[in-house]
Amino acid sequence: MGDTNKFDAIVIGSGMSGGWAAKELCEGGLKTLVLERGRDVKHLKDYPTTNMKPWEFKHRGQIPYEIAKDNPVVTRCYAFKEDAMQFFCKDTEHPYVQEKPFDWIRGYQVGGKSIMWARQTQRWSDFDFEGPARDGFAVDWPIRYRDLAPWYSYVEKFAGISGNKDGLAELPDGEFLPPLELTCVENYFKEFVAKNYSDRHLIYGRCAHLTQPQQIHLDQGRGQCQARNLCQRGCPFGGYFNANSTTIPWAEKTGNMTLRTHAVVHSIIYDEAKGRATGVRIIDANTKKAEEYFADIIFLNAGAINTNLILLNSTSKRFPAGLGNENGILGKYFAFHNYRARISANYEGFMDFKTEQSRPTYAYMPRFRNVRKQETDFLRGYATTFSANRYSKMGGDGFGESLKKELMDSAQKLGPWGIGSQCMGETIPKETNYVALDNEKKDEWGIPLIKFNVDYDDNDEKIIKDFTEQYTDMFTKAGFTNIKATDSKQAPGLDIHEMGGVRMGKDPKTSLLNEWNQLHACKNVFVTDGACMTSTSTQNPSLTYMAITARAASHALDQLKKHEL
Amino acid sequence: MNRRTAIRNAVVIAAGASLLPSCFREDKPAIALRNISLSGKEEEMLAQLAEIIIPTTDFIGAKDLHAYEFILTMVDDCYSPEQQDKFVAGLKKFNEVSKEKTGDSFANATPQQKKDFLAIVESKKDIPEEVVDFYSIAKRHTIQAFTGSQQFMEGIGKYKIIPGINFRGCVAIAAA
Repeated sequence: MGDTNKFDAIVIGSGMSGGWAAKELCEGGLKTLVLERGRDVKHLKDYPTTNMKPWEFKHRGQIPYEIAKDNPVVTRCYAFKEDAMQFFCKDTEHPYVQEKPFDWIRGYQVGGKSIMWARQTQRWSDFDFEGPARDGFAVDWPIRYRDLAPWYSYVEKFAGISGNKDGLAELPDGEFLPPLELTCVENYFKEFVAKNYSDRHLIYGRCAHLTQPQQIHLDQGRGQCQARNLCQRGCPFGGYFNANSTTIPWAEKTGNMTLRTHAVVHSIIYDEAKGRATGVRIIDANTKKAEEYFADIIFLNAGAINTNLILLNSTSKRFPAGLGNENGILGKYFAFHNYRARISANYEGFMDFKTEQSRPTYAYMPRFRNVRKQETDFLRGYATTFSANRYSKMGGDGFGESLKKELMDSAQKLGPWGIGSQCMGETIPKETNYVALDNEKKDEWGIPLIKFNVDYDDNDEKIIKDFTEQYTDMFTKAGFTNIKATDSKQAPGLDIHEMGGVRMGKDPKTSLLNEWNQLHACKNVFVTDGACMTSTSTQNPSLTYMAITARAASHALDQLKKHEL
Repeated sequence: MNRRTAIRNAVVIAAGASLLPSCFREDKPAIALRNISLSGKEEEMLAQLAEIIIPTTDFIGAKDLHAYEFILTMVDDCYSPEQQDKFVAGLKKFNEVSKEKTGDSFANATPQQKKDFLAIVESKKDIPEEVVDFYSIAKRHTIQAFTGSQQFMEGIGKYKIIPGINFRGCVAIAAA
């Protein structure tokens, strides 16, 4: 009779990157325990709202007052609406400490935030990996694009990524399923930009949608995206990538996966004599009892912040400041994406044209600032989304039959083209932006609360200024009208691209992870979620987390086979 | 199945299943509210107001859409206590001002008197702000109940929950 608490591998977290670790390790023949702090969400079975029509929602999508009042942080999230609120963490259930304001958006269930994400995916290039070294911030990445390129291909093919081959060095093409169309005004702006700027390119927004499923996707039990734009509910067609429909079931069918839900990870167990991690201590979410599981290797994919928390809470004689934290920088150099700036406009051209059906993506402008060399008074730059469509102009004057008629007549009448653009700015990781354990407060499982000390800096303000100036200028020259630039002044976090704290680097004195995402000081622990990011660049990061995870898992399997781990 | 679920489901049923008038009793509201409190007569007034804003024609109107219940659901669940107090006070004042301007409470006024009174409220001339605010909330959610209904979204708006992945980015609008 075997020891039921002993596995070959433990994966902490079952979301965007944890699902990939589970799949790769299980496929590699390892008996893998996947620990998830929340409940299970089985694809199809556990998407309670996915087929509901708009009129079937009691409040037509709005969050009830009492929920909004008690949970101000999550209520700020654009996707926290009546149709998907069951997948989001409530503030009241999972408190944390804000030394400076930080909106921490979480989803504690199998699949994590891969259920509700916006599915935008772009590869990094060496213009991104070389950023810290060239521009003198953070530390040099220990990898380059050539290390990750085959893994981007690997995960793109499995996940299914729709994109157009644009031939841009700064945003490498991937393994793409067919793209969808851009709208009249998106194409108009694309041509305008190409004509007037040699280094700016408006492209189709690459996204994790099955526009044309391949055999691998059919084998996964997924089908073609139907453009419902209700992805945050979970998709009955499996039309977009989430862990629930794609990586977790694939891991499960190997027969090597054990999924343990309601398992809040307390710490990683470090054996001083052996000089390695030997397992994980959990607190059962419901009974509050502690349990221990053991494994040869551990993948830590709890999400950037909880990964930091678990390492900080994994103290021992050798590591009093957290597992692997000999240099004291665990939790530091924490960063995010600057999402404060937006701009909207109208266009009175193409009034004899409209769009038909819907589309779960938009257009995208890769970073054009400081790409090939440092050119501005700020470091790095920003990518932007860009979308242009026509919307019904519903009336509202008066009452009675005239109002009713106006509403019915105007439902199919379209206003001018409405244009929107969101700035996604790189932020510079610095020692003074950090997450740490609160000295006193603990959660209901006896685990210290995480506290945030993260803020914008002068570079972020300059990026907002440049985005506003450049886009106002381009929009004006393109003939757009009613141009309105805004700064939401939102706290960091609402970007939901939190990164860092356990950064990769060449030197154990200035980093936590080596080029294979192993803790320098404890090589059988791997960190491949947002926590590992040495810099943030401007891309939506999830695709990079997937590729990093698959690459690290492959290395782990290789090292185990060679008895190096 | 509780009463609220039954009422909500009734909204989805095709037009014709009107059951409002017989539900009103002097002292007991037709639907269970947790935060606001209206008498049966006050609910009747609200229902009539909604029906004047979006009347029944050969296309479904506020009455058969149970729009007044949607107004109450939204105010009861999605508004702050202060906003709820103002809504209820505004509703009572609406009735008082109706008596002043037309001689009768809103529910008892003739259809023409009701329309004349609403025209005055829309103009905002000599109308207390709380009445304007109450009316604006009632109107907004009546319109929302109408334009968000299955009949409107599918019949007029051509809504499809499964559009299919054939997005056309630039289609010439057919000449009228």
